[in-house]
Amino acid sequence: MSSEAYEILALLMRYVFALIGVLIVFRSFIWLRKDARAYRKEIAALPDAGLIGEIVDLDTGKAQPLPHEGVIGSARECDIRVKGDYVLRRHARFEFVEGKGLKIIPARRGLTLLGGVEMRGPGYALHGTQLGIGSHTLRVRLFAGLNVPTPAAYPEPDTILDAADEDIPWTNITVENAYYLPEETPADAVPFGDGTRNYDGNYDDDGQMTWQYAYSLDELRQEQAKQAWIDAQEDEPAPRESRRRRRGRRE
Amino acid sequence: MSDRKKKRAHEPGRNTLLAMMVFFFLAFFLLALKDGKWESFALSVVVPAIIYVGTAGISHLFPSDRLLLSLTNFLCALGVLVLYRLSPSRGMSQALNYGVGVGCMMLCAMLVRYVRSWKWLTGLIMVGSIGLLALPLLIGKETNGAKNWFYIGSYSVQPSEIVKLALLISVSYLLSQRKVILSLLFAGACLLMLMLQKDLGTALLYFGVVFVLLYTATGSVPLLIGGVAGGAAAAVAGYQMFAHVKKRVAIWLNPWADSDGAGYQIVQSLIAIVNGGAWGVGLGLGNAQVIPEYYNDFIFSVILHEFGLVFGLVVLCMYLFIIIRGIMIARRCRTVFHALLATGCASLIALQTFVIIGGNIKLIPLTGVTLPFISYGGTSMLCSLCVIGLLQGVASRNKAGVREDRELAMQGGDTR
Repeated sequence: MSSEAYEILALLMRYVFALIGVLIVFRSFIWLRKDARAYRKEIAALPDAGLIGEIVDLDTGKAQPLPHEGVIGSARECDIRVKGDYVLRRHARFEFVEGKGLKIIPARRGLTLLGGVEMRGPGYALHGTQLGIGSHTLRVRLFAGLNVPTPAAYPEPDTILDAADEDIPWTNITVENAYYLPEETPADAVPFGDGTRNYDGNYDDDGQMTWQYAYSLDELRQEQAKQAWIDAQEDEPAPRESRRRRRGRRE
Repeated sequence: MSDRKKKRAHEPGRNTLLAMMVFFFLAFFLLALKDGKWESFALSVVVPAIIYVGTAGISHLFPSDRLLLSLTNFLCALGVLVLYRLSPSRGMSQALNYGVGVGCMMLCAMLVRYVRSWKWLTGLIMVGSIGLLALPLLIGKETNGAKNWFYIGSYSVQPSEIVKLALLISVSYLLSQRKVILSLLFAGACLLMLMLQKDLGTALLYFGVVFVLLYTATGSVPLLIGGVAGGAAAAVAGYQMFAHVKKRVAIWLNPWADSDGAGYQIVQSLIAIVNGGAWGVGLGLGNAQVIPEYYNDFIFSVILHEFGLVFGLVVLCMYLFIIIRGIMIARRCRTVFHALLATGCASLIALQTFVIIGGNIKLIPLTGVTLPFISYGGTSMLCSLCVIGLLQGVASRNKAGVREDRELAMQGGDTR
């Protein structure tokens, strides 16, 4: 092609290139916006998106959504906020590990209980595990369908008494659905099986609260909360019926 | 219309992809008409085909973000086009880098998608990074006032480009584990190495990315103020310590004072931009070769010269969309590590683009960083595509997360 003809063609084509460029940008913008809308719509249809369950504060009855990972503490930026005595600003970190459960990593020793037992390192919580965060008791509730080990059934208080009478062997009872690192400790380990603990008392030889006692306290707290709610319902006067509704009833 | 055809017609971004392919077909065909070479005719078919395979093909094989892929492919192909127009050998070499880069991008995406524990990998990456950054100091040669390259045979390697990725991964992981001090120590060690190499442009990028990550992870205002103050102090110290920094600032303030000497680069760049005007001088009609480093630092000036200001804005919009997309991916993350990683990738691309384009148009002093995806250079192209790979990996994890949520919702979505 001659240089003159090429020059004319190139000069014309620069408008075409600019036009195609603008078209690409416009289409990309529409694509970006459409995708953002579709995502928002999808998330709106899945209200539990990004969550793996909830954590219920057994003292207040308040439930908080549980994300895949985050921090429990009293600070405002914490994912699970718990305010109370002996609760640190960043009390413990948690992280959902597929196939294992909710990994709890306490910031300091001695202030966190997992299934009623003091945490001395990271441990895994399953569905129903109780967490003692300072003065608060929380219960972990995980969604059905998550890939986590099935928690053992809760031992009923009667069963505990029976176990104390040696009708049921201790090996059948797990430390309230919780298990600990290091990994070699099996999930169904015998609770306090080293024979140094006092099973009948409320505290063991190290001065730690036994899980049976912690469990009974928890039950008691729940009963008290339930009773308080029933009392409050009974004390509250019945809501006044509106004039319009009364008229409607008469008619 | 059959269901399959209907689905294909409603595939997102189908028209955008088509427009991109048409653009490169016309551009390379125009160049082929000028030079009459068979390579140019071949490229007019091969480059659109690579764009199609690199976008639609990859997104069929691997659950990735199609918009991000298509924008990245467009910018990479634009780099090949501009380089081929000015220097065909460099253009062909860049096309090869592009192909290898797409492979590396997929590797990075799969790494982020499938690696579960980053603990040991991060340790290895950190040790490797410090070792790599030490190499130019030991066996490197000084170029343009900085000693940031070393040579393996005929190949030149810039370790600071590779360490960018390592920095992103390590700092994101450490911050997600709340190891703020360790992350600062590692970033400080990397910055110190770069200062010793006198590679201040890359040091600026590292500082900016770590600063953004630190603020995103902690949300601490005192840290924000401290970071800004520290950055300002480092800039002043750098100005006082290094003679070539003083020279660059002086050129930036008044390039016309020594337009045939030190200010030649920036003066020629500004002249080329002005000559281009709104619509450019036309593909193949410009004379951008007069700008020194036209294939590397000043490639954006070449684009403005041949395609014009309107098309320059189009390129800027594409970078902006990539950054917005990166932030969107970060916001959709389920884990802190992946959110920080995506934020880091987006901020790295944003900072790098701003620093080099700002330098080209005399908005800020010029530093020797490359324009992501477009500038000539194997290391730069591979690393830019790896950053996109990291983003793709995070996007893929997000998609898997939404799928899991949908499955959980199908099972009732309630607790056990």
